[in-house]
Amino acid sequence: MTLLGVFRFELAYQLRRPWPWLCMAVLAVFAFVNTRVAVVPATLPQDFILNSPFIIAVVSVFSCQIWLLIAPAVAGEAAARDVYTRMYPLTYTSPVSKAEYLGGRFLAAFVLNALILLAVQVGSLLAAHAPGVDPEIIGPFRPAAYLAAYGLIALPNAFIATAVQFSIALLSGRPMASYAGSMGLFFFSYPVTVVLYFSGVQKLALLADPIGVMAIMNEMMSNWTIVEKNVRMFTLEGPMLLNRAIWVGIALLTLALMYVRFRFAHRPAQRARATDVFRRLRGRFAVRVPMPDTAPARIAISVPQVRRSFGLTTGFRQAVSVARSSFWMIAKSPPGLFLLAVFPMFVVLVLHVESEMWGIQMLPRTGYILTKHVTAALTYFADYRVIVPLLIVYFAGELVWRERDARISENIDATPVSEWVFVLGKFLGLGLVLAAFMVSLTAAGMLAQTLMGYHDFQVGLYLKILFGLQLPEYLLFAVLVLLVHALVDQKHMAMLAALVVYFLIVFSSVIGVDHKLLVYGSSPGWFFTDMRGFGRSIGPWLMFKLYWAAWALLLAVAATLLWVRGREPAFRSRVNIARLRFTRGTARAAAVAVALIGTLGGFIFYNTNVLNEYITDDESIERRADYERRYGQYEGIPQPVRVGTNLRIEIHPDRGAATIHGSYRLLNRSTVAIDSVHLEPAFYVDTRVSFDRAFRPAVTDARLGHDIYALEEPLQPGDSLTLRFDVIFKPRGFTNSGARSSGAGTSILENGTYFTSGALPVIGYQPLRELWSADDRRKHGLPRQVTLPPPGDIDPSVAANAPATFEAIIGTDENQVAVAPGELRRTWSEAGRRYFHYGSDVPISGTDVFFSADYTVHRERWKDVDLQLFVHPGHATQRERVLRSARASLDYYSEQFGPYPYRFLQIIEQPGDFLGMGVDGSGVITGGEGFFLLNPEGAGFDAIFEIVAHEMGHQWWGMQLKPAFAEGGGVISESLAWYSAMQLVKTVKGREALRRFMSFMREPNPWPPIRTGLPLLRAMDPWANYRKGPYAFLALSEYVGEERVNGALRSLVETKVSSFATTLDMYRELQAVTPDSLKPLLHDLFEVNAWWTFDTRQATAVQTQAGAWRVTLEVEAHKVVGDSAGVERETPMTEWVEIGIFAGAGPGEVLGNPLYVQKHRIASGTQTITVTVPQEPARAGIDPYNLLDWEEGDNIEPVKIERRSAKESS
Amino acid sequence: MHLSIRNISKTYPNGVRALTNVSLDIPPGMFGLLGPNGAGKSTLMRMLATLQDPDEGSIHLGELDVLSQKDEVRKTLGYLPQEFGVYPKVSAEELLQHFALLKGIPERGARREVVEALLRQTNLWEVRKQKLGGYSGGMRQRFGVAVALLGNPKLLIVDEPTAGLDPAERVRFLNLLSELGENSVVLLSTHIVEDVSELCTRMAIIDRGKILLEAEPLRAMTDLRGRIWRRVMSKAELPALEREHAVISTKLLAGRTVARVHSDAAPGPGFEAVEPDLEDVYFAAMAGRIGRRHEQPEPVATR
Repeated sequence: MTLLGVFRFELAYQLRRPWPWLCMAVLAVFAFVNTRVAVVPATLPQDFILNSPFIIAVVSVFSCQIWLLIAPAVAGEAAARDVYTRMYPLTYTSPVSKAEYLGGRFLAAFVLNALILLAVQVGSLLAAHAPGVDPEIIGPFRPAAYLAAYGLIALPNAFIATAVQFSIALLSGRPMASYAGSMGLFFFSYPVTVVLYFSGVQKLALLADPIGVMAIMNEMMSNWTIVEKNVRMFTLEGPMLLNRAIWVGIALLTLALMYVRFRFAHRPAQRARATDVFRRLRGRFAVRVPMPDTAPARIAISVPQVRRSFGLTTGFRQAVSVARSSFWMIAKSPPGLFLLAVFPMFVVLVLHVESEMWGIQMLPRTGYILTKHVTAALTYFADYRVIVPLLIVYFAGELVWRERDARISENIDATPVSEWVFVLGKFLGLGLVLAAFMVSLTAAGMLAQTLMGYHDFQVGLYLKILFGLQLPEYLLFAVLVLLVHALVDQKHMAMLAALVVYFLIVFSSVIGVDHKLLVYGSSPGWFFTDMRGFGRSIGPWLMFKLYWAAWALLLAVAATLLWVRGREPAFRSRVNIARLRFTRGTARAAAVAVALIGTLGGFIFYNTNVLNEYITDDESIERRADYERRYGQYEGIPQPVRVGTNLRIEIHPDRGAATIHGSYRLLNRSTVAIDSVHLEPAFYVDTRVSFDRAFRPAVTDARLGHDIYALEEPLQPGDSLTLRFDVIFKPRGFTNSGARSSGAGTSILENGTYFTSGALPVIGYQPLRELWSADDRRKHGLPRQVTLPPPGDIDPSVAANAPATFEAIIGTDENQVAVAPGELRRTWSEAGRRYFHYGSDVPISGTDVFFSADYTVHRERWKDVDLQLFVHPGHATQRERVLRSARASLDYYSEQFGPYPYRFLQIIEQPGDFLGMGVDGSGVITGGEGFFLLNPEGAGFDAIFEIVAHEMGHQWWGMQLKPAFAEGGGVISESLAWYSAMQLVKTVKGREALRRFMSFMREPNPWPPIRTGLPLLRAMDPWANYRKGPYAFLALSEYVGEERVNGALRSLVETKVSSFATTLDMYRELQAVTPDSLKPLLHDLFEVNAWWTFDTRQATAVQTQAGAWRVTLEVEAHKVVGDSAGVERETPMTEWVEIGIFAGAGPGEVLGNPLYVQKHRIASGTQTITVTVPQEPARAGIDPYNLLDWEEGDNIEPVKIERRSAKESS
Repeated sequence: MHLSIRNISKTYPNGVRALTNVSLDIPPGMFGLLGPNGAGKSTLMRMLATLQDPDEGSIHLGELDVLSQKDEVRKTLGYLPQEFGVYPKVSAEELLQHFALLKGIPERGARREVVEALLRQTNLWEVRKQKLGGYSGGMRQRFGVAVALLGNPKLLIVDEPTAGLDPAERVRFLNLLSELGENSVVLLSTHIVEDVSELCTRMAIIDRGKILLEAEPLRAMTDLRGRIWRRVMSKAELPALEREHAVISTKLLAGRTVARVHSDAAPGPGFEAVEPDLEDVYFAAMAGRIGRRHEQPEPVATR
């Protein structure tokens, strides 16, 4: 009963406080916005039901993460208020048992949190049922969905988090400690989990997350079909269930520990606070000196009269003193130690994990690791770096409240110190903490580099990036949160307010505030890569940061005026006091700030909105809708096609300018005369066009980018004309997102110029510019569009975009190399500039790309192909691996799939720090700077070879064979490109190399298996395109025969050379080469979603009298077939499956020499197979190369050798 | 330097009237503010220490307007709050150095000198390296005194300073105060009558936010001479006595009740005349026998 009393009192007490209610409000709003407009729906490509159990569950789990950050006060107050308010001598001595006291308090906190989390469901409900929502996307109201999300997600989280927050606050005696507990949980739930997930221990990652975001998201996002996402009820199973069980267990353990450790005893709270790590450590070893506490007889001592001063100088010295003491206070606290020591260690780990791709280490160049993994804009919240702003919020609170927490505020407030000294001092203190953090990050970065055997530290670059670019980002934010804490005169409310402010900044774009003049502290991003340096990114960045620094000054003035001093909490009296404090100095500072805000803001606005066009997301969506409405009628009308391109390009890297004079040869391939040409010039460049026959502009629409030119004399079928154009790149200030990436802006840089034929005019209406998201289309009243038509809906007679011959003369600075598609015909210097003449008489397609940089060039010939490699001078370490793969691919693919049709092959390093490689057009492969930092060593796994082989594959699958814009398109480009790479690896490097390659393919990063997608013939998801497809082709080639499958593909290229291909075309070719006995397998691989699971239960061997070995295998086999609703049916199987027996493995191998690999007929269920081999076996199993069972693991087992028993030998 | 308080009133947002129309003139020297707990002493003290503002009224220190020239006042102010804490992880010397800087002593040498002198004076020199978290209540109080004395304040406000001190410390501290009172305004609030009688040349008695009496202690005692009577009796007799006489205080002595009565003439048999002490002044004022409550009787008290 006492427990109930304690519980009731606590509950009533906190319900009268403001924070539970405000937390509820924040969560309800968050859930509402999250459901309606934001994060989740945007990640779903198709239509979704707003109140589906999936959305409700996802919103719940995200909201839990927000709740974790904003609501620790509840548990903190319940646990530690008595100690903090020094009331504990009264409560601890009352006749309440420990269990009743703690139980009542904990229960109250838990119930309060449970109530607060109820607001999430209210928000979700409102989002679905309040006005303003399209009824089409609202499903029936299903109370069970809300109950499940609340009961299975929110309640366990409330319990887990409350237990941790409560225990920490109780044992440390400080309500604020619960925030630290929360951040600890958050750190696990987000940063740690994500890093674990991507470092290859996915299962562990799913368990490490106390909130269950990853477990839930992973399970539902990737394993549920669209149909399931809309209808399936959320339950706890699999990893989710285990995760919940483990964390509830941990919470119970924490509570038990807390119960045991807690005593109703005097709290020498000030003497040995649990938070004072140093002191406690020291206390272990130090002997305490007895303190004389008695007053001896009075000695007359006079206090010397010293000169005192109260000027500005003194003020600064006072501020420094405040800063120093603030710094040490934070630096010595556990959260401070976390930031300065633990977090940087975590960064070392992250760098280690992240600088590996496919088991290959990248060269950890300083610029690369800093920009990719260490620095982050304030608005960036997608990974572990989010913890820094959260800690800044916490530290600012601790600093602003420091005097009041220590109850020394009255002594200090009565000293003759101006308020600005406190504001400046605390800001500097926090700044020092952040600067120390930058030092720690520098050390962490260098440590990580050293551990990876890299020693070119580039200390200067560390300083520039961390202290010059990252520190200001955090400092600006620090000023803002200091103001919030100074303004809001209640600690928990101040924390809540500061967090809400942070969330508003982070989610500003979601709530429709895009302009960086309106989002505190934000600016266009900067970039740094080896090739581009900082490019033109610093100028705009600096302008915005200065603008926000002026705001920060104004905020600092406001903080000074409203600084709490003494005991006048009422806002009116604070305003009165502020009026008194508004001295001439303050006024001057405010005036300076306002003037700076005005000028800098004006300058920025002039750049972003006057010099350049500023378009919001809504506006750009609106334009795309308008584009479709107005010009959609011209889709597919007869238009001349481009058959030849001729360009003369002048690049001026130093001026950031370029001019292109060009012409297209346009041919009327249709059967009717064409009287007008539709032309779409690129945005953000100046384009002028003319034709070689009389014409007049009929429509010129710069806003939507569609012009129509009427020809005086129609273009007859088979007739052609020439379009001439001038395109001019001119730098024009900067935009809201910095220097434009298209047009001039960052396209043309001092080093690392890169632009594409996107800058040139295109012919005809471009359906790709239409809106695709179902939601956007509905909002603009556009007809629903099927994302992709099924392959059968593609009209086989539609001709592929005609390739065109190409010729370009491209000029640049004397010390740079310019690149355009084609074989290099000539290069010369003229008037201090260098010119290059590229061309291709074989018509080429795809995107034409243009570069100018200080490249290291390698040229060689493969047959009559001009093979060119362009890389940044420092990035040529792996040149030979790239070339070897390119040559091998040319050899093997042209032999297997038909000749390489072009006279050139260019492999170009594209400026930018991305890791990937891709094919831009015929004969052109580009890789990011990150790709050229990959650094495989020795004879280990060589991802460079495989990736280049894949891109080379695209020269057939994608460039020659063009996939139709339909379902399954990815299978005939991506799947075939990977399949080709696999065959190449097998042919050139052998089966063991292929096995190693495959095992990297099977890692769930970046594409975790999706069991519920469409079958391969209609596949759309990346896992099917990049993984399942290649596996299926490989399996088929092993069953049907490599030559037959490759022959079918070769014939596919030949037949579809001038039209788009679908998976059905490909399937017909495959069917033609597959014998009837294997047709069921072909069907299972491509037409349905079939999944095989094989397991070798045990493998034993016994030596026969003849000296051979008889191997007995017990194997289990299953096949399931899944439908689009995610329902999987076990299907009986009788399949030919390989049984393999292997000798002992050599070093670096997994499987040894194959002693026996033969296909056996395997049925569902368990069966025993006996095989005799001549040599002693080491390993044996079913489907040893994972041809059908795509999950590695239990297929192969070590062979247990049995001594022959007497009975057996008889 | 002269502190003048004019018509100060303060009502807290929860409706409590902390001060009602308080006016005081405080000359240099020690001034005692005597009153029961909750009388409004601390509110008044905080106002003088620039930390709180009255709803109405004015406070002047010499030429300075305490309410609007807070910065100036703080330069001459020493304040020892009734209750305060410390940074537990900082040593006394370190924190006092910090305070010295805050009080406007930027030169390191001068600061060190001042800090040393104050630490010695408050008898904390031996333990100056100890972290303040380990200090006893008395040590912490002495540390607070050291902070208040920094910078030779012309206005020293000490709120219930002797509450946490043992008798010896109390004597030491009061001596220190009286020394300071020689050329500063020292305002001492207390509910201990002896503190005032031993030290203060002037005093005020405050209760429920109102000044009951403003006087010089000696003069006030003299004024009462011949009017205080004492009677020893059993507890049971007290109610009758209270009905007939103005009992201002009672206390126990060896199991018997000793009542003191204020009366201009001898109240009758069983009473003996006693020499009035300051406690009699206090209780007589509280009971409305002298001072303002006597001159302008209030309506029946609410508690």
